[in-house]
Amino acid sequence: MTISILTFIIMIIVGVAALVFIAVSAMFLIWWERKVSAHIQTRYGPMRVGWHGALQSVADVIKLLLKENITPAGVDMLAWWFAPFFAVVPSVMVFALAGRDLNIGALYIMALTSICVLGIFMAGWGSNNKYSLLGGMRSAAQIISYEIPLILALVTAVMFAGTLSMQKIVEAQKDMWFVFHPNMAVAFLIFLIAGTAEVNRTPFDIPEAESELVAGFHTEYSGMKFAMFFLGEYTNMFIISALAAALFLGGWNGPFLPPVIWFLIKTYGIVTLLMWIRWTLPRLRVDQLMGFAWKVLTPLAFANLAVAGWVLLR
Amino acid sequence: MDYTPVKEDIATEEFWVNMGPQHPSTHGVLRLELKLSGETVVDSIVHIGYLHRSIEKIAEKRTYTQFIPFTDRLDYLASMNNNLAYVLAAEKLMGIEANDRAKYIRVIMAELGRIASHLFGITTFTQDLGAFATPLFYGMREREKIVELFDDICGQRLTYNYMRIGGVSRDLPNGADDKIKKIISYMRPKIDDLEAMFSKNRIFTARTKGIGVLTAEKAVSYSVTGPNLRASGVKWDLRKDEPYLVYDKFDFNIPTGKNGDAWDRYKVRMDEMRESLRIAEQAVLGLPEGDPTVKAGKIFRPAPGQAYMRSENPRGELGFYIVSDGSPIPYRMKIRSPSFSNIAVLPELINGLKVADAVCVLGSLDVVMGEIDR
Amino acid sequence: MIKALFVTLKNLFVKPVTLQYPTQKMPMTERFRGLVDLHTAKCIKCGQCVKICPTLCLDLATKEGADKKKDFGHFKYNMELCCFCGLCEQVCPTQAIYMGKIYEIAVYEHGKLHIDLLNAGKYDEWAHPTVK
Repeated sequence: MTISILTFIIMIIVGVAALVFIAVSAMFLIWWERKVSAHIQTRYGPMRVGWHGALQSVADVIKLLLKENITPAGVDMLAWWFAPFFAVVPSVMVFALAGRDLNIGALYIMALTSICVLGIFMAGWGSNNKYSLLGGMRSAAQIISYEIPLILALVTAVMFAGTLSMQKIVEAQKDMWFVFHPNMAVAFLIFLIAGTAEVNRTPFDIPEAESELVAGFHTEYSGMKFAMFFLGEYTNMFIISALAAALFLGGWNGPFLPPVIWFLIKTYGIVTLLMWIRWTLPRLRVDQLMGFAWKVLTPLAFANLAVAGWVLLR
Repeated sequence: MDYTPVKEDIATEEFWVNMGPQHPSTHGVLRLELKLSGETVVDSIVHIGYLHRSIEKIAEKRTYTQFIPFTDRLDYLASMNNNLAYVLAAEKLMGIEANDRAKYIRVIMAELGRIASHLFGITTFTQDLGAFATPLFYGMREREKIVELFDDICGQRLTYNYMRIGGVSRDLPNGADDKIKKIISYMRPKIDDLEAMFSKNRIFTARTKGIGVLTAEKAVSYSVTGPNLRASGVKWDLRKDEPYLVYDKFDFNIPTGKNGDAWDRYKVRMDEMRESLRIAEQAVLGLPEGDPTVKAGKIFRPAPGQAYMRSENPRGELGFYIVSDGSPIPYRMKIRSPSFSNIAVLPELINGLKVADAVCVLGSLDVVMGEIDR
Repeated sequence: MIKALFVTLKNLFVKPVTLQYPTQKMPMTERFRGLVDLHTAKCIKCGQCVKICPTLCLDLATKEGADKKKDFGHFKYNMELCCFCGLCEQVCPTQAIYMGKIYEIAVYEHGKLHIDLLNAGKYDEWAHPTVK
């Protein structure tokens, strides 16, 4: 296969644009989360840098860039160095789909988001810290368990649309959003819960579990490496919310406004919902969490899938 | 690369984790050594002493009045109650009694201090359970009202130094009783709000019910006191059983739990705040006239002898044992602090639980390191 | 669980209760106990405040001044030790020594915390808060 220089340049430009979008989006999400949490707690949150602290994240990124990159003694160098990239690169790769059609899109996204667990586990193992190790172990167990209901919920949507391509799934919702179908409403709930666990947010944030494990798998990371994990986390949250919006809430379908705006509104709506939940609920214990995944969520997702199949074939 | 075949049984190893003295959930500078088997705690050692300031020794170098500011630094979340416990002991030693207005003011202050302390205790406990700062901030916001009132009355927000031997340092300022009434009526719905966040919350109940069960026998044999003891079902409260000040004049209940688990300890504190509001309300309505203040400069020379007085602090029984040799400074002072006894039971409770539950139990015991290490 | 979400939602629309600290400051209460200050004219040099101070942070020396009256030798206040208990203020028979309202007491040098109470302009550089 040969590619002309022009195509190559276009590829680079698109890639850089995607990276910029990811960074800006993550920074916006961090600022937004700080604002939402602050107002839930009747505080102001960041107010100094820019309008209502809008540039606070920029300041934070600059600070993190300037910080010393500490490497603790006795780390497993390979795992330690590559973990942040494993946490970030898969979520960036998901954006390759943006504005393009891939006939196995849904499968592609799922495959990539599950690679993130590798990064977390490597960080936990490589840090040579017992807290990190516990956090890494927990997250491996958690993310792998919640992957199943997540994918089963996604499969329900795929069954309804009859295709794996994200474009076609969204097009199938032109007349009615999937979420208004009772089957899909259940699937949406399962997807949201499993998605929350997938991106390690309260009530499923046990890999980080501040009050138990200090900061979990990224306890030892500092400077830009830490920022990488942060970036990965927020990008993952964006991806899960975008997926939920695309699969269940009609994606970019909507009246009046241009499709991109509709898509972003829905995505950020779900993100805000996740934040609201995060700043309200306590966290589950690790065994309760696993029990919930295997005893409640997975059977429910399977039952839902079976009912969906019956509904479709009737 | 050398290759070792996977054995039938993978060798596993228990390992020690050092929790604290700098750890988000050890409430100060407690250090726990946990022996973990995977996620399960199999053994634990509690290390204390990181906040030792030898306050008992300091007491042997200060006059009776001079020592009052140091009691503020024992249990820094309930300074008012510490003040009270100390001056009660000193008064018992000297055979002095405060007048009625001073007693009523002391009751109001002690009960408000208890609410402030419990608000903090409960909300930091929920913080340990992973409810990110939100309930903590609500608790702080409510506590702020009480702290501001204390600031109004005695001039500081945490280290009050308000009680004096034989009275209090200053009378209530004008309009303070209205302010207290306002706080009481403000506090009731806010406590309900706080309870709404947790009592019916499935995650919260799943995390606390049946965790860290402290049986009544064990609680008594470890001399656990305060809400932790009452949560185990023992109805023991010095305000009722050994009334000091004017507590026998008020109508209030002693909330108790049944199982002695983390949930009961939380619930007892919640209910105790409501009872404290009731006491404070009755006290502020029945506030007698008079001059509660005493001169600060008076040098006390109690006759040689000894006295032990305990009172019900938010965390349990705080007792001061003072020995006098007739000079203006105490010969010896022993402080019996509730948190010290309460923390002793921790290893018994957390062995066999998960790490997350160990944190939960520690939070539910609501210990303050300033009091443990003195 | 749903109830908890409603509680947080309700609070989402409450006006924030915090202050933007360096620009907005809380007024101090009338009885607030800040840094110790002295009305030199009122002081009768009785030394009661020095005697009652639990942390020995006050240091008063007297000398015989003109017409055989007691006069100040020095009156030093070591703020590093002060625990702001307010006993000196209460014990003073003439209300000469009193607790001011200054609470922003962080400085860069230890020396700045050793304050000469006789110096009239000692707190000029410090931030003076408003009083309720």
